[in-house]
Amino acid sequence: MTDIFSNQWALNSPFAKKLSDSQCQKLYWACLEILERTGVQLFAQEAIDLLEKAGAHVTDGNRVRIPAGLVEKAFATAPKKITLCDRNANRVIQAGGHRSYFGTGSDCLNIRDHRTGERRRAVLKDIEEGMILCDYLEHINFVMSMFLPSDVHQENLDRYEMEAMLNFTTKPIIYVTTEFSGCVDAVKMAEIVAGGEKALAQNPLAACYINVTTGLRHNREALEKLLFLSEKGLPFTYIPSAQGGVTAPITIASTMAINNAGVLAGLVISQLKREGAPFIMPGWGGNMLDMRTTIQPYSDPEKRGQAIDFAHFLGIPTFALAGCSESKLVDEQAAAEAALTLFTDAIFGGNFVHDVGYLESGLCGSLPQLAICNEILSWIEAFMKGVEINDKTLCLDLIDEIGPEGQYLDCQHTLDHFRERWYPNLFDRSSFDGWQAKGGKSLGERAVDEVNRILEEHKPEPLPKDIAKAVHKVVEDAESKL
Amino acid sequence: MANFEDLTEAIVEGNEDKIKLLVLELLNAGSTAKEIMDGGLIAGMNIVGDKMETEEMFIPEVLRSAKAMSGGVEILKPKLTEEENVASGIMILGTVQGDLHDIGKNLVRMLMEGAGFSVIDLGTDVAPEAFVDAIKEHNADIVGMSALLTTTMPKMKETLEEMKKAGVRDQVKVLVGGAPVTEDYAKEIGADGYGYDAGSAVRMAKEYVSN
Repeated sequence: MTDIFSNQWALNSPFAKKLSDSQCQKLYWACLEILERTGVQLFAQEAIDLLEKAGAHVTDGNRVRIPAGLVEKAFATAPKKITLCDRNANRVIQAGGHRSYFGTGSDCLNIRDHRTGERRRAVLKDIEEGMILCDYLEHINFVMSMFLPSDVHQENLDRYEMEAMLNFTTKPIIYVTTEFSGCVDAVKMAEIVAGGEKALAQNPLAACYINVTTGLRHNREALEKLLFLSEKGLPFTYIPSAQGGVTAPITIASTMAINNAGVLAGLVISQLKREGAPFIMPGWGGNMLDMRTTIQPYSDPEKRGQAIDFAHFLGIPTFALAGCSESKLVDEQAAAEAALTLFTDAIFGGNFVHDVGYLESGLCGSLPQLAICNEILSWIEAFMKGVEINDKTLCLDLIDEIGPEGQYLDCQHTLDHFRERWYPNLFDRSSFDGWQAKGGKSLGERAVDEVNRILEEHKPEPLPKDIAKAVHKVVEDAESKL
Repeated sequence: MANFEDLTEAIVEGNEDKIKLLVLELLNAGSTAKEIMDGGLIAGMNIVGDKMETEEMFIPEVLRSAKAMSGGVEILKPKLTEEENVASGIMILGTVQGDLHDIGKNLVRMLMEGAGFSVIDLGTDVAPEAFVDAIKEHNADIVGMSALLTTTMPKMKETLEEMKKAGVRDQVKVLVGGAPVTEDYAKEIGADGYGYDAGSAVRMAKEYVSN
């Protein structure tokens, strides 16, 4: 039988867009204009020298004006896709385009303790338990430290974080370090686990999250990390945090223009240092200061979507932000903000979507909140799948065979396919009586039970003993220098 | 060597061919039909029932097991003595008058059959008198009534009254179910039990006949 059917096209997913290509073009030109006209202030001599040599104009020692052509050139060598591997060198994350991966945030000062319900300072043990949980949760694709350990020497807390992440999960890592030396040590630890410098560059299991003071002022540590990692060919994010109404004009467009001018400056420096350096840009745009409370809201609806559109336009992978809340508790607000932000970042196609499980605008974390986010992500994954409309899925023969009076509950076709439909794990679908029979618990209570179960049962694959020892030696060496 | 564990496992898998084969092997090895029935088929369906309650097995899988089990029952039936060859119980089942919804009721039927009950399904839109006639005709142990609409729920009460009038109310246990029905409503109209889902209906029916 001939099977020809012309003019067919199908959607494989829902899609969303907030900025058109011409709007992105305008924003891009604004960034170029800022770089040429106003310029950036850089606090690392090597970065200034690289730019000057390439044709940028340097005044006042560190004020650098970057010609548009240098930016254009950088795009030719910056990778459009960035790979992160798990501990066993499986290339599990292929970030770029509209493909989304989700992970925790780093360095929450506090934890909402799921055992006591209290808010307290986080300790190293919280990171370890957080990593065990992340290692288990299906929809957490990469990890960040989640918490800031208050019970270790604060000068070396980044080493302890890195060690805990390497020990308690095999998933890819995005690490944050306070000083430049911490970044060097984190890479050293990652190299030990990957099997050497070359092995890590080939199959990177970790990326660095670099924060930059603002769009137009680039601090020394940020630039040093960028140069070091570019040289090594290791992936990193470069995230200036221009804040509307404080370090940038209050409008979203202008905050984005300043911030992304800074991003492009970083991009140029990275590609001048080493062509092909894997560079990741921010996936949120238009940070604000809440003028009522002075907090910087994480789940602000107005900063979502457009930065991901812009990054797609530029062809640079994004570090996006979702699954986070301003709520102080694992409550209705936390669930709603987590769901809305995860949904928007997924439908816009952010790449490395971090901060999943954050409360209190980044000051507190919660393990049950992370488990709830995992469930939300399971829902979103099911939602994002396209619908197949074809002869096989339409089942017209079956419909005719069963007829108007029959039913499909016990037919083979149902049996063959019913498991293909989505079923929740934490979200409850029982009847009222069924729910009551199971204890009549709220989502938050069920999430606590789930976290307790996972921490009890899940044993992440441990690092080989000699490797764990060598990793710990890096921490010890840093300690001995105090 | 075939054993009962393999048979209960085959029931859980819903593998009819394997069930038939194992039943024949067990018969050849000297087990009695009654032993195989109780220790294999019914025991297997009890596991299925438990797995349904813990949400490990889903409805279509439970139905597959029930269907597959009947393949084994067919072989055993002629070999059971008259005394042994009775169902766990006899159930009259129907959706009450004025109501055409039958998915839940059908589910109960299939699961009750899987649990070894003999089910007389009166279908949908069943008049009170029809329930009464069926109780008399089949000497039933249990009556199951279902309603999906709040407007047809009162027919459950009417049917119960009709049973009283006919003098058959005390010979049966009456189970009610359906989305708008509640435990309180069941009590209010004088039913013996309320099943919030098909699985709980089967569980209660089993309790009734074992007492």
